[in-house]
Amino acid sequence: MAKSDSGNGGRAAQPQGSALYEVLKGIDFERRELVDKGKGVGLFDLVKAKDGSYRCYSCTLCERVCPVDCIEIDYCPEFEELPFDVAAERAAALASLPGESCGAGAACVMGEKPAGFMPEIDMKLFDPVVAKIRDGSGLVEAFHATQEAFGYLPRVALEDIAEEMKLPFSRVFGVASFYSQFRLLPVGKHVIDVCMGTACHVAGAPLVVEALSQELEIPVGATTPDGLFTLQTVNCVGACALAPVVRLGDDETFGRLGPNEARKLVRKLRKQEVGA
Amino acid sequence: MSPAAKLTKIDRALQAKADRSAYLADDAKTEIRICAGTACHASGRVALRKAVETTLAERGLTGKVAVVETGCHGFCEEGPIVVVRPQGLFYPRLKAKDIEEIIATSVVGDGIVERLLYKDPQTGEALAHEKDIAFYALQERIVLALNGKIDPYSLDDYLNHGGYSALAKVLNAADPEAVIDDVEKSDLRGRGGAGFPTGKKWRFCRANPGEKHYVICNADEGDPGAFMDRSVLEGNPHSVIEGMIIAAYAIGAGNGPVEGYVYVRHEYPFAVQRLRHALETARERNLLGDDILGSGFSFDIRINQGAGAFVCGESTALTASIEGHRGMPRGKHIRTVAHGLWGQPTNLNNVESYANVPWIVNHGPEAFAAKGTATSKGTKIFSLTGKVVNGGLIEVPMGATLRQVIFAIGGGMLPGREFKAVQLGGPSGGCLPASLLDEPIDFESLVAAGSMMGSGGMVVVDDTTCMVDFAKFFLKFTAEESCGKCVPCRVGTQRMLEILERISAGEATVEDVERLELLADDIIEGSLCQLGGSAPNPVLSTLRYFREEVMAHVVQRCCPAKVCRPLIRYTIDADACTGCHVCLGACPTSAISGERKEAHTIDQKLCIQCDTCRQVCKFDAIPIETGIFAMAEGRQQ
Repeated sequence: MAKSDSGNGGRAAQPQGSALYEVLKGIDFERRELVDKGKGVGLFDLVKAKDGSYRCYSCTLCERVCPVDCIEIDYCPEFEELPFDVAAERAAALASLPGESCGAGAACVMGEKPAGFMPEIDMKLFDPVVAKIRDGSGLVEAFHATQEAFGYLPRVALEDIAEEMKLPFSRVFGVASFYSQFRLLPVGKHVIDVCMGTACHVAGAPLVVEALSQELEIPVGATTPDGLFTLQTVNCVGACALAPVVRLGDDETFGRLGPNEARKLVRKLRKQEVGA
Repeated sequence: MSPAAKLTKIDRALQAKADRSAYLADDAKTEIRICAGTACHASGRVALRKAVETTLAERGLTGKVAVVETGCHGFCEEGPIVVVRPQGLFYPRLKAKDIEEIIATSVVGDGIVERLLYKDPQTGEALAHEKDIAFYALQERIVLALNGKIDPYSLDDYLNHGGYSALAKVLNAADPEAVIDDVEKSDLRGRGGAGFPTGKKWRFCRANPGEKHYVICNADEGDPGAFMDRSVLEGNPHSVIEGMIIAAYAIGAGNGPVEGYVYVRHEYPFAVQRLRHALETARERNLLGDDILGSGFSFDIRINQGAGAFVCGESTALTASIEGHRGMPRGKHIRTVAHGLWGQPTNLNNVESYANVPWIVNHGPEAFAAKGTATSKGTKIFSLTGKVVNGGLIEVPMGATLRQVIFAIGGGMLPGREFKAVQLGGPSGGCLPASLLDEPIDFESLVAAGSMMGSGGMVVVDDTTCMVDFAKFFLKFTAEESCGKCVPCRVGTQRMLEILERISAGEATVEDVERLELLADDIIEGSLCQLGGSAPNPVLSTLRYFREEVMAHVVQRCCPAKVCRPLIRYTIDADACTGCHVCLGACPTSAISGERKEAHTIDQKLCIQCDTCRQVCKFDAIPIETGIFAMAEGRQQ
């Protein structure tokens, strides 16, 4: 925090004994008088650096961490242009990265095209999602529809959702990355979900995950380079009596599957694919 | 209702909705009921249904014998389950090839296929009817009463079993305050875990002014190892809808518009599908929508799917998620009943709470309050899983003891295994040892024992489970699911996990255990929501009841249950090994060597402790030793 230039001006606006006063006392922070707002209404201004440039990078962190939810970031139609040059910022950020990729793959907003398995995106599939949004569905529902159409959430789709819903992209991406069910990377033909519920854990699910990960030579959450298998874990599929449970795609569920059987299952599937 | 009272407009409207020709409750119609719960689906009900249909077609019985796919029967361990009516014969663990015989004997004829009946694990006696089986006989089913009896896709089935009569009763009386009085008198407490009185919540919500009131059903059953809500939604979705309409009426009638949401996990595709269908049919018959049954009251329900975030079961995170934000909770200085979804007064109850409401309205609050203990009334559904003989879904009156549930209904431990602990309440609850088995199950006594009711997950573990590893599992879960908003939960759980990892690696000190307790207190004190506030519970209860086992990891550096990898090693018992080469072939890292018919050996440097060899060995020749070996052997961790 910058040193206060107006003494304890920031604190004086708060009535003594109020909750905010308790929080703020003893902290020195920069206080700016806001022209259009009354006293005590807006304590924090969008901070500009000394050279007049904006210091806010729309990371939305303030909105996320505020314990009393007094910050809300919204789409702002009057800002046609962003206050800073996005392309230049991105180029600078990429230049500062070691090597070519930042390592986060498509999950990284900065990196344009991550290496690895990347299918073409047919944007025709996206039309029903747009229709749904116009019908009043929420953001999370829109993601579900998108994931159903593409198998994951491609960046272009997220950008379109942001535009359609008049939300900042940071917000859309923030929500998409929060929920563990939404995938930001494409998935393979066979999605293997290993249940990690309590009953499955007790019955040895960690061993099953390990066996599968070894057999497929990928870590959990990744897709094999040939695009055939994706290995994931889920919290609980609710078939606890059959623990340990492995789900293949949306329809097939295998119960009482030990590490050895799991390996056999993968080998069988691979054989089918190679044979086909 | 006075005896002279005639059928009101609403009663007539309700009766007109029901199609009486749809198969009735206890008529003599021949019927094959196949359980279509998630567990039975996983164990092959699709193949079973196909076999039933082809066999019936071959015999020219299609249309004469009804094939009904019901919701979960509860006895998931024995799936897939088929019940043949009118005799009510119960056939568990069926294969498609058994269908032919069953139809020939029990549907066409009047016999029983003895071979396929359920055998009592203790006496070995074959039992033909659900009511004879201890698992069912000792339960008391209110919420689950119709589960397994009705077709979740048929509104007529529900109506013919007395469905929506509670709604008609409420709409007839036209007194929303009286509904709240009744629910308050019944002492129904929230079944989501915290046990807040439902009637009180409704009253607060009604009293709070707003442009619109919201009634939300929380079906985001994130607890690993719990599936009660899923089974209710899958088996009897209309009971939840009816409960929600009654709640909406109690909160909103004469008080402005009300809107409903069901927030359901995306991981439950059947539940979503059946709920969606139930909502559509209810809307078609005017049980939902504008002017319900001509009463002038309007209400509709939307489905909102979660996306795999455990924290979204928390009320404020749930509303944030519906609004399209990251599912992060806020401080609860203002409750959701005042400022919830879209800033409006919001009533949020669990699936099971809503499903109890129609029963309370129909049977009166006194009948409900007569069940249970002094502070906790009615029944509670538990999903009993883990190392018990009869896993599944059970409903018992509050106040039943853990021993009754686990041993009488659950059939006790698997043969040759010893009871070690029962875990209640999922990642927010705790483990209880054998000494507390006679503890009655109600909200207060479980909290006093260091666990909690939670939504009703009950996982039984035996002597092969390491309590440190078990606590680590839950903490890992909460650390991963922490939304990251507040520091105590985000950082604190991570640090606790690190200490636990040190303990299970045999690298911890006695001070570490003390630090764990201190940290737990701080996290409970400082967290914003109950995810953090209850995250240390599994660790604390482990330290309370299984301290010796924890200290064995710290002081003797061994894992008594032989689970924690850095402290164990797989060996081969040269006397028991027959040299059959089975383990040798199964070992993924070729760590096992030896000639045929000679005792094998395991190369500890190559062994990754995947347990495969021990599982494939038919001679129990691969015992696990525990102690601190890793350093001595230069094993790569």
